[in-house]
Amino acid sequence: MTATTPSKPYENHLLRPGNTNCAGCGMSIGLQWLDEALGDEQPVLVIPSCCGIVTAGAFPTSGYGVPTTATTFASSPAVATGISAVAKMNDIDNPVICWAGDGGTYDIGLATLSAAAERNEDIIYICYDNEIYGNTGGQRSGATPIGAVTATTPAGKGERKKDIMAIMAAHRVPYAATLSISHREDFLRKIRYARSIKGFRFLLMLSPCPTGWKSEPDQSTELVEIAVRSGLFPLYEIFDGCRYRINQRPDNMAVDSYIEQQRRFRQIWGDPDALNAHIDAQWRYLDGMATVFPAKDSPVTAAVT
Amino acid sequence: MMEITICGRGGQGGVTLAKIIASAYFLKGKYVQAFGVYAAERSGAPIQAFARVDDNEITNHNQVQNPDYLIVLDRTLIVPGMDATLKNGGSIIVNTPDDNTDYKELFPGREVATIDATSIAVSNGLGTRTVPIVNTTMAGAVARVLDLSLMDLLAGLEHLNFAGTNKTCAREAYKMVRSQKIPGEIVKPPEVTSKPRVADLFDDDVGGMPKIKTGSWATRKPERRQLTPPCNHVCPAGNDVQGFVAAVGKENYDKALGIILETSPLPAICGRVCPAPCMETCNRAEYDTSVNVREIERAAAELGVRTAPNRSSRQEKVAVVGSGPAGLSTAYQLAKLGYPVSLYEAGDELGGVMRTGIPAYRLPRDVLDEEIDYILQYDIAPHTGCQLRREDMLRLSREYQAVFVATGLQNVSDLDLGNSASAEPVQGLHFLEQVRQGNQRLDGQRVIVIGGGNTAMDAARSALRIGASEVRVVYRRTRSEMPAIHEEIEQALEEGIILDELVAPVSLTDSDEGPLLTCQGMVLGPPDASGRPRPVADTSPEARFNLRCDLVILALGQSHDISILPEGSVIKEGEALLGLSGAPFFMGGDFATNAGTVSAAIGCGVRAARHIHRTLSGEDLFPPPEEPVASAEAIKFQRFEHLPPEKVNTLSPAERRRCFDEVHLGFQAGPDGTGAVGEALRCLSCGVCNSCDRCLEYCPEGILRQGSEEEGYYFDLEYCKGCGVCMTACPRGAIYMTNL
Amino acid sequence: MSRSLATGNHAAGHALALAGEANRNARGCCAGAYPITPQTEIIEYLSGFPFSKGRIVLVESEHSAMGVCIGAALSGARTFTASSSNGLAYMTENIFAAGYYRLPTVMIAVNRTLGPPWNIWVDQGDSLMMRDAAWMQFYCDSHQDLQDTVLMAFRVAEDKRVMLPVIVAMDGFVTSHTQMVVDEPTQEQVDAFLPECVIPHKLKHDHPSTFGGMTWPSETEHHRWEIQHSMENAMTVLEEARDEFEKIFGRRPAGALEAFETEDAETIFIACNTMARTLRNVVIERRKKGEKIGMIRSKLFRPFPRKELLEAIGPAKRVAVLDRNHSPGSGGIFWQEVAATLSHDPDMLLQDYLVGLGGGDVTPENINAIIDDMSERTTASDPEWKDDTA
Repeated sequence: MTATTPSKPYENHLLRPGNTNCAGCGMSIGLQWLDEALGDEQPVLVIPSCCGIVTAGAFPTSGYGVPTTATTFASSPAVATGISAVAKMNDIDNPVICWAGDGGTYDIGLATLSAAAERNEDIIYICYDNEIYGNTGGQRSGATPIGAVTATTPAGKGERKKDIMAIMAAHRVPYAATLSISHREDFLRKIRYARSIKGFRFLLMLSPCPTGWKSEPDQSTELVEIAVRSGLFPLYEIFDGCRYRINQRPDNMAVDSYIEQQRRFRQIWGDPDALNAHIDAQWRYLDGMATVFPAKDSPVTAAVT
Repeated sequence: MMEITICGRGGQGGVTLAKIIASAYFLKGKYVQAFGVYAAERSGAPIQAFARVDDNEITNHNQVQNPDYLIVLDRTLIVPGMDATLKNGGSIIVNTPDDNTDYKELFPGREVATIDATSIAVSNGLGTRTVPIVNTTMAGAVARVLDLSLMDLLAGLEHLNFAGTNKTCAREAYKMVRSQKIPGEIVKPPEVTSKPRVADLFDDDVGGMPKIKTGSWATRKPERRQLTPPCNHVCPAGNDVQGFVAAVGKENYDKALGIILETSPLPAICGRVCPAPCMETCNRAEYDTSVNVREIERAAAELGVRTAPNRSSRQEKVAVVGSGPAGLSTAYQLAKLGYPVSLYEAGDELGGVMRTGIPAYRLPRDVLDEEIDYILQYDIAPHTGCQLRREDMLRLSREYQAVFVATGLQNVSDLDLGNSASAEPVQGLHFLEQVRQGNQRLDGQRVIVIGGGNTAMDAARSALRIGASEVRVVYRRTRSEMPAIHEEIEQALEEGIILDELVAPVSLTDSDEGPLLTCQGMVLGPPDASGRPRPVADTSPEARFNLRCDLVILALGQSHDISILPEGSVIKEGEALLGLSGAPFFMGGDFATNAGTVSAAIGCGVRAARHIHRTLSGEDLFPPPEEPVASAEAIKFQRFEHLPPEKVNTLSPAERRRCFDEVHLGFQAGPDGTGAVGEALRCLSCGVCNSCDRCLEYCPEGILRQGSEEEGYYFDLEYCKGCGVCMTACPRGAIYMTNL
Repeated sequence: MSRSLATGNHAAGHALALAGEANRNARGCCAGAYPITPQTEIIEYLSGFPFSKGRIVLVESEHSAMGVCIGAALSGARTFTASSSNGLAYMTENIFAAGYYRLPTVMIAVNRTLGPPWNIWVDQGDSLMMRDAAWMQFYCDSHQDLQDTVLMAFRVAEDKRVMLPVIVAMDGFVTSHTQMVVDEPTQEQVDAFLPECVIPHKLKHDHPSTFGGMTWPSETEHHRWEIQHSMENAMTVLEEARDEFEKIFGRRPAGALEAFETEDAETIFIACNTMARTLRNVVIERRKKGEKIGMIRSKLFRPFPRKELLEAIGPAKRVAVLDRNHSPGSGGIFWQEVAATLSHDPDMLLQDYLVGLGGGDVTPENINAIIDDMSERTTASDPEWKDDTA
């Protein structure tokens, strides 16, 4: 029996029915699984400006069944720091979780994120990366992949996606990992592992946005499946920022069907070279790191403030 | 001033529709205004947009309060009283497949125009399956109602850079829209109810459930469906294969056996001798290897406890003639329905061909006896040694309310090989009966079996077991065309039997060295009526050769003997011969079908019992038409782990060559069922929900709820947004989406 | 209570620390801290203070400093920080968030000219920029006033009838870096003065809700009204706090404003912070010469004490405002508030003087010149700039 038990009262769901996320939103699946992984444990959610807070709906009701606060766009790690600090001094052990989009993570919130990571705050930071400013109608972000059409890159983005995992690893945070909404056991395991340790934990989840990606809502999990199997979105973990474990190697599935199912890639339909170059470069780096710095035994974590 | 209100859903393009209308009028020199109500629109959420058109500059900026036109982009948004604020004489334009007159309850007294814009947009690929973009299509319908010319409309679209498909759709809608005045009185707007309370920031009651019922956003809804698994589809006995395999997977052997016993009283036998077409069609074969259903059935028969038989409860008596699998099956099914049955058998023991034709190394006698004993625990009176003739049958028709005839194939096919004094060919079935009775040895002899079916294999392998020094099987076609169970052929070859493919016997003659079988080499020609390649003689001189032999066994097939039936009877499975003086005759088994397998005979029995029951009681127990078969395309193989098949124990060829011990010994992993469970868990449960929970686990909304035990999970449509992720998540094609 | 020597920064930092420590039996205290001249000494002091239940988080920006305060306050802790000038500007977004979230944070604003160009000296334009952020604002004229006001600020801010954050402002360098004598309170006194910090809308695990999500116009308007109402309540709560303060500390801190020699004054001068002390000295001198002038030290800027100001002005028909701040295109910011307060009176002559902008030293001579100018006026003009500037 799963914790997303079909008899659990709706008001106790972490993400309640009646939330205003679009149909087929990847974030929604991520939140359901977060709920599942945490079991009976109730987190505090800290959410900067993004679809994730809009989905809570209008005051005074709440789309979240756990204590949740909105923050200004760049502030979620700072606000979470305050919450985590007070929780610690009062012996409250509920996990403090930042749930932020890619805009709040890769772009406007990066300095705040970096500082909280450097201070090794006791926070789980989850970035649901839909590779777009979805809430404002789909503009380019630092997470937008090369070739993607957005409201501000009508001819397709010319630059590559930022490697946020490498940035976080460079902070030597105790744990950084990628999450796939098509690999449930892996997802749950990583959340549970993250929960089991202290310090700053960074989790990156590829989050399909049917509205922005111009894809079929029912294909959200399939798209992530292709992204993982083609190598576009590697599943891996980094312990203490310096020991790498690859969870699943690509099985050489072509990235073409990933591209063709999304109209945001219409500028590169039939021409996946740019993404393939990105995949190759990414795996050269990742394989190199995993070879030179493999995660062998159970990880040792850094001291927590 | 003309004012327009548009009600739609996020993603349908409602605001753009307002802009298209405004553009068309702007290009005609009008003052216009177009805007939407901006909130946190989400794909599918209800939204509003407005347009104003006037000859003079428009100076008000509030939302339209009393529109002249109300445009509804999605009929699921319609609620009673929706037109309350519409001006008198105002019109409603609805995107709907409905007819105008369907709105006589909702919009009495209104001019209502309808257009199926969704169909037009979807068929032209605008938007997604979940949210089709209907704005440009609707623009066509709206323009027509507004009395804009087609030219004006297209100019408005072009002004906003719409081209191609969008214009095609608009044109089509312009043509197709139908407007009609609905009779009746306009409904007055309802009284304004009291103002809702505004919550304080520090209220204790903040944090309640969201008020939005997101089910209203959906354009599709998920439904469960039960497809027919290919194994069930092809099972000649009509077994719920998927069902009993699933029960074994849950270690519920009693339930598994119960499921089989619904249709077949012979699971231990089928678990040994069935050619298992279920395994041939098993979708898992497309992925790695078929599920070993046959062994699972055998395990279920061994591990499950049989239900206690019921007693007869009906007056009508039925006679069953023939105690082979068809007769036993029919008798069993009828007895279960409460009919007292008399079972007539020509031989001394029950079982028919299962006893006389299947060697003990494939079907041990005690297994056969046990299953027959179970059947006889029902109200079935056996009469052995009754060789019935036509007049006996007519007598039965007077004494019973129905007669079922399944006497099998009593006439064997012969082959004229000339006259050989020393080696008169024997019939395979006769040979097998002799072997069964234990009064034949072939020590040191060379045996040739002619034929390619199961009887040929059985005869060949039996000959080996009673001492033959060399056994050859001679077959006209190649191994792949042989009708025998492939595994039987495989095992025969393992045991040292020689298979001569593409060889046809010509004549059997005596020589100094003993009997000689002259043979003709064959080649495969074009297909014959059966679809198999027709063997034709190889014309080369070396193609004719002789084989030495001591015994030739013919296994060329059998046919039925209809002399026992009333004259002029036409035999067809399940058909009742009516118009006789007495009870109707029903026919089944090989006698009627020549299907040649125990499982087919069992299926015949099930159907015969239903025919008889319907004739006698009027009650129809035939199942409804089958759901479509779950093809391999419906299965998402990548969702499953590769699992090797559970190992099966067999006697080694050396061990089995000289004895009649059972060759198959069941799963290696123990009589405790471990192997059977492991194998059953390989079942993909094609097209049948097996509560794997993936839909529950992948639902982005968490709205699968627990219903009653039989119902299982249900989709809470009050909240379901209709994304269809569950459909994609289902690895076995048991969920599909229907349009609302 | 001990009489000691302290800089303004030390006095303010010490008061923050004592207030934070006073909440040790409740949820504790927390601050986000980031350096900027001239407030840096405050966060240095806080970082070295041995809190028994508190944490000073050394963040990467003012924006995050306020972010930490918001998170900690949402968790029920007593929160505070300090900033200046461009730091406040960078923090602005979260200052508004704390205000509209109704979180009773206390922030020391050490007034410094906003740049560019680079200027580290006093000008109240930085904190006045936050006038619409739903924060209360106090302007302090002395070290003692500053220290007392910090303690008062927590008491008022955390009162359930108010539940709003407070800025306590002082002049950069003139107060912050000047050493003077203060009567410092003891921890016991502060413990007695400040009740446990209770934040009614803190995040609750037993009653989860979403804080700061979307609100429709009707709710937004209602919540703005609630804030306005709470600002009005603050006047009552402030008076209660003064009474209580006097009981515990033996002295009565200033309230919304301080009037001096206004009863029979024909002309009244209004100023804030240290400039008000210089003004007071000049008024004393010129009273001796028989001039019927008075002065008002404006302390509370938000809520703006209109009623108290009208009472203090009384029958006088000539009012001058001395502003050490400037809203380009308009004039002094205090002047605008005073003008709005006096707008009903057609006979009033109200004149604005911009003085000491960018930290220029405001001398008695400067003030005498203003009083001279004012005494000769028959009509008001646009805001007057210092003679050598205009």
